Amino acid sequence: MSHYFGKSLTRISALAGLTVRDAARSRLLVSLGGILIIGLIGLPLLISGDNTLTRRLQVILNYTLSFAVTMLSIVTLWTACGGVSSEIQDRRLYLVLTKPVHRYELWLGKWLGIVALNALLLTLTGFIIGIMIWHTLFTSPESETGKRQACEQFLLARQSRLPESPISEKQAQASAAALVKSGRAPAGIDAAQVATELMKELKNARFVIAPTGTVHFTTLITTPLSGINDGLLNYKIESSRPERSPIPALWEIQAAGKKAIHLSVTNYPGLPNRLLIPGAVMKNAPSLTLSYHRLDSSSSATLFMAQNGQEPELLIPSGSWAMNLGRGLLMILCRLAFLSALGLTAGCLLSTPVAVFAAFFIMVLLAMSGYVESVATSGAFYIPHEGHELSKTWLDKVILSQFKGLNRLTQPLLRLDPVPLLEEGRRISWLLTTQAVAWLVGLYTAVTALIGMILFNRRELG
Amino acid sequence: MMKDEELVIEARDLTKVFLDFWGRPKVRAVNGIHLDVRRGEIFGLLGPNGSGKSTTIKMILGLLHPTSGQLSVLGQSPRAVSVKSRMGFMPEESYLYKYLTADEILNFYANLYGMTGSAKTERVNALIEQVGLSQARDRRVGEFSKGMARRIGLAQALLNDPDLILLDEPTSGLDPIACREVKDLLLALARQGKTILICSHHLADMQDICSRVAILLQGEVCATGSVQELLSTPDTLKLTLQAPSQTTLMAVLDLLERETGTRPQVDLTGRTLESVYIETVSKRKSAS
Repeated sequence: MSHYFGKSLTRISALAGLTVRDAARSRLLVSLGGILIIGLIGLPLLISGDNTLTRRLQVILNYTLSFAVTMLSIVTLWTACGGVSSEIQDRRLYLVLTKPVHRYELWLGKWLGIVALNALLLTLTGFIIGIMIWHTLFTSPESETGKRQACEQFLLARQSRLPESPISEKQAQASAAALVKSGRAPAGIDAAQVATELMKELKNARFVIAPTGTVHFTTLITTPLSGINDGLLNYKIESSRPERSPIPALWEIQAAGKKAIHLSVTNYPGLPNRLLIPGAVMKNAPSLTLSYHRLDSSSSATLFMAQNGQEPELLIPSGSWAMNLGRGLLMILCRLAFLSALGLTAGCLLSTPVAVFAAFFIMVLLAMSGYVESVATSGAFYIPHEGHELSKTWLDKVILSQFKGLNRLTQPLLRLDPVPLLEEGRRISWLLTTQAVAWLVGLYTAVTALIGMILFNRRELG
Repeated sequence: MMKDEELVIEARDLTKVFLDFWGRPKVRAVNGIHLDVRRGEIFGLLGPNGSGKSTTIKMILGLLHPTSGQLSVLGQSPRAVSVKSRMGFMPEESYLYKYLTADEILNFYANLYGMTGSAKTERVNALIEQVGLSQARDRRVGEFSKGMARRIGLAQALLNDPDLILLDEPTSGLDPIACREVKDLLLALARQGKTILICSHHLADMQDICSRVAILLQGEVCATGSVQELLSTPDTLKLTLQAPSQTTLMAVLDLLERETGTRPQVDLTGRTLESVYIETVSKRKSAS
């Protein structure tokens, strides 16, 4: 048995090696490496903006990674589609398949070769990003304090902490049950719905800021912090009035048993804000109480902090940026591994141009998974028919069910995308990384591979 | 151990129909052929273009599946991977990875046979030597002439010391000396008990080395048998002798005409261009 596996492993590694060598000798690797280097270095120079250190770091993190991932995704699909189909077309595969090679070994060998290429290029990407950040910091004319602040803001992995709910779920359910029992709840609504609405209302009410008013909320910090690194508070203010005049305000931040600190800010409605919270305040604190004091007594507009995923969010330091980037790149590799499987499976069944077209179509579909999700949840693509009320036709129902199915398929891909997390400096946990490996490689790739192998095994090479 | 007369390839009523996109029959490439290839023989598959030779070869290689009929190769289904470890195939075109060197190509295919270590190195070195590519082992196959590509193609077909060797136009693109060497190599392999199936348009070469042939036309076997059987006709003889005097020759011809009713044809037999070429080049090589 071990002899069989040994031989099988020799064949698979020979095929994987051939794929890497093919890319290297056909100059694909060199060309792509060149484009990556030029793009990764050139893009931040082109989009340097106001040329401040923070802006340049932001550009390096935000654009270069997206550029590299887009490039690698396209090339991965192209290589994977041609990996089998082009060899069938020029008949090189005929000779390989007259050797004692199982077709699944051929599929696996090709896939491993493409994944190895991706790993190589992703390592190069990470290396270039690291060097660029180091070079930007090293050559910046900013003061040491400015450099430290920029590093604090961008080069740190942070975990998200959301404000504590003003009421627990159990309390809400109990109150809702009491309301329903006393007959004060509207007819036809059950206790669960009342509890949901109650929690929503309380949350909304808590973030309303009247002129010269104040909002308070508490955020738990479960892991004690060393206090060396600063935290970040992300928040957004909305106004009841259309005018966008600046709002002077004061943040009061207090940890239990410590003296409060005050930070003056000026906010513009509708724009995201980022406030650096000194690490010393959070040091060993179990929780923070944050208060926002509005200072514009002349304005009569009611302000409120944004809801629905944009609530005030405290980002606390959690691990090194380099490790976070490493985990992020591993997640990207998992996505590329899935794309390789998709391309190879398409290439096993279709000719190269058709396989490329089909695979790109699927990739676009996956890239649109956010849109798909919103359509599937809101049904926003309905167009009312003239003279009719907004009602679903059979076509609407069919399309919506397809969107829902697609949404189920693409949800893990959307959730396990590390690029937005890396861009925002959020921590990518080992749990999330493991989930990416399990979902993208263990499930998506495995299922795609299985389909590809079964169909390729049945295919005749005439 | 296999018996001497054991059938290495056995096709019974073998049919291959290609279908169109909608699954309707489009072409009947092979139509109910019977084929027996025995151990140790060199079997030639002849026929014009489109006669079904390539389709038959592809079915033997397990690349195509028969529509109906039975096909057994080395006692098993041709799709079984274990059969392929006992087969070697040299295609007509050079279906090789052009960016690899001769050495890398052979090592790659040796890996596919599961060969490792010194056994692999020794086998690769021996074959490179045998096909005369020692000087070009580090050159990329893409830079090879057609003849050199054929040699490396032959070397990869012999990597696993196969029991059954399938060759598609093995002498195409080779110079006469290389062609002779290949033919001698094939005859030697057959003497070692290897079974060889050749597909070729070079009828002279086929006549030189094949023990049996089958002629295919429109997917059917038109004629099959040993080369001698097919070439010999019972009412015609070819007599080769030292040229006698004119009087004796005329007397013999008259006698034969009276006996058979037709005047016998007399030709002068000379050397072939191939023998002159080989002799000249060999002499020049040994002198230099």
